[in-house]
Amino acid sequence: MESFFTRYRNLIVLLAILLVQIVGLAVQVRRTDEGRRTFDPKDPSGVRLIRLWAEGLVAPPERGIQSAKMTAIDVWQSYLYLRHVREQNQDLQKTVDRLRLEQAALLEDARQGERLQALLDFQHRYIYTTLAAQAIGSSGSDQSRVFYLDKGSDNGLKPDMAVITADGIVGKVRDVFPTTAQVLMINDQTSGAGVILETTRIRGILTGNASGRLEVVGILADDRIKPGEKVLTAGGDLVFPRGLPVGEVEKVVRDPDRDAFIDVIVKPAAHIDRLDEVLVITNTQPRFSPEEQQDLATSEAVMGAEAAAIKDQLKASEIMAERLPGLIDPNLPPEQQPLLDTSNPNPVTHPPQALHPDRFTPGDAPGTVPDSGAQTAKPERNPQ
Amino acid sequence: MSVLGANFRRDMEIRRYPLLVYVMVPLAALVLQAWLPRVVGPYDYFDLPLVVTVYFALGRRNPIQGTLMGAGMGLFEDALSQHAIGVNGIAKTVVGFIAASVGVRIDVENHTIRLILNFLLSLLSSAIFVFTFRVLLGLDLEWQWFTELFRAIGNSLIAMVLFPLLDRLQIRE
Repeated sequence: MESFFTRYRNLIVLLAILLVQIVGLAVQVRRTDEGRRTFDPKDPSGVRLIRLWAEGLVAPPERGIQSAKMTAIDVWQSYLYLRHVREQNQDLQKTVDRLRLEQAALLEDARQGERLQALLDFQHRYIYTTLAAQAIGSSGSDQSRVFYLDKGSDNGLKPDMAVITADGIVGKVRDVFPTTAQVLMINDQTSGAGVILETTRIRGILTGNASGRLEVVGILADDRIKPGEKVLTAGGDLVFPRGLPVGEVEKVVRDPDRDAFIDVIVKPAAHIDRLDEVLVITNTQPRFSPEEQQDLATSEAVMGAEAAAIKDQLKASEIMAERLPGLIDPNLPPEQQPLLDTSNPNPVTHPPQALHPDRFTPGDAPGTVPDSGAQTAKPERNPQ
Repeated sequence: MSVLGANFRRDMEIRRYPLLVYVMVPLAALVLQAWLPRVVGPYDYFDLPLVVTVYFALGRRNPIQGTLMGAGMGLFEDALSQHAIGVNGIAKTVVGFIAASVGVRIDVENHTIRLILNFLLSLLSSAIFVFTFRVLLGLDLEWQWFTELFRAIGNSLIAMVLFPLLDRLQIRE
């Protein structure tokens, strides 16, 4: 018996290690209500401990590498490579001025929208607070498109928080450790986000395919979907706020599994392959943030004179409209309003009946033929 | 004398390294594997932990050590992903065992043989990974054969550069 173990020692060790791993895998896989198998999103405590150890071992060197890289970039961009900075600064100042004007113009619309949403009891979530974080590492596997942030639960991060850049959405926080967090990218095969096509208003589910490309699945074939159409978050997945840019339609292909459906290949708005700094949405509120309110106040102050002039013009036009004769008779029911009478395509309008007829009154002038229409017609307007 | 027994050749040609190399090289491979894909973008056709596993398994010529090293590296990679822990572990466990077993029987000093072995073992690792995912666990996984082929080629190219460098670190008596 001893010779058996000695002789097949290598093979026994191999089988034992494989067996342990297979049993460990079986523990981590569960069956969904639809009968499909999937990984349990909540790691067992032992598995989480292994992940914690692995991340604790890899994160410090990654942090060091990333820090060195960012320092080098900062030195280069801040002190060495300063060509065209003055021109860029002037261009940016012009852009800021233009955006302030646009913002002020849109302010009233936004407030009206908020009032309407309040009336409809519709809670639309706006981005309230974000936390800037740096990407320090990845899983290293193209079958697992995750990356790690240099912020964790100590900084207030929690699972299922949305991760974005200024260009568009990137992913969501999947797992959180004390000083790091794992982000599941939107182009992973297990990822999913509710999206809507901007023009056609078609909704679908955004996920990743084997090659890491974004695709919207579960859409019935529709000829209206064209390349270049913007794709936005739909806001129904409780992760991404509504209206964030996702990308644009690159092409439309047939779903290989279902004939009536199509897959919409999406070019991501964010540069998800090369991320350095991202924003984690840590809180959403149905109102403007203090920073946004400050921006709006600034825009209002800048736009004060122009806004006052526009307001004066509007007031003058309203006064003028009140003085001019109206086309709506307040004494008539709605169905008898002259504007609604479509029986005569060219209706004849008559002057109102005189309160005190004199020789200039139509029909009373000598030598004229009485106009039956003028005499029998009811006054269609009241004198103003 | 022309036909040497396997055990004799193993004893003669077994490679030894300083302890620091056993610790730092695998750790560096894991860190770089986690960091480099962010630099090279979508062209991450390499698997440094696999290359290092193959190198040490071929050099040490001990199937148990190769198995343990493969298991450790694979489990570590799994821990950094969102997948279940063990998928990469199984693949690299088998690769480590086979590499060490082959190392006992053939001349692994030849660079061409090492490259070919690296290429074949990379493909084997990918095949076991997909098998475990789709057949053993019954999970959905899309994969592309040419990606795995590119990865095997990438691993061979890296091995072509890395193996001679690591050879310099071995203890020579």
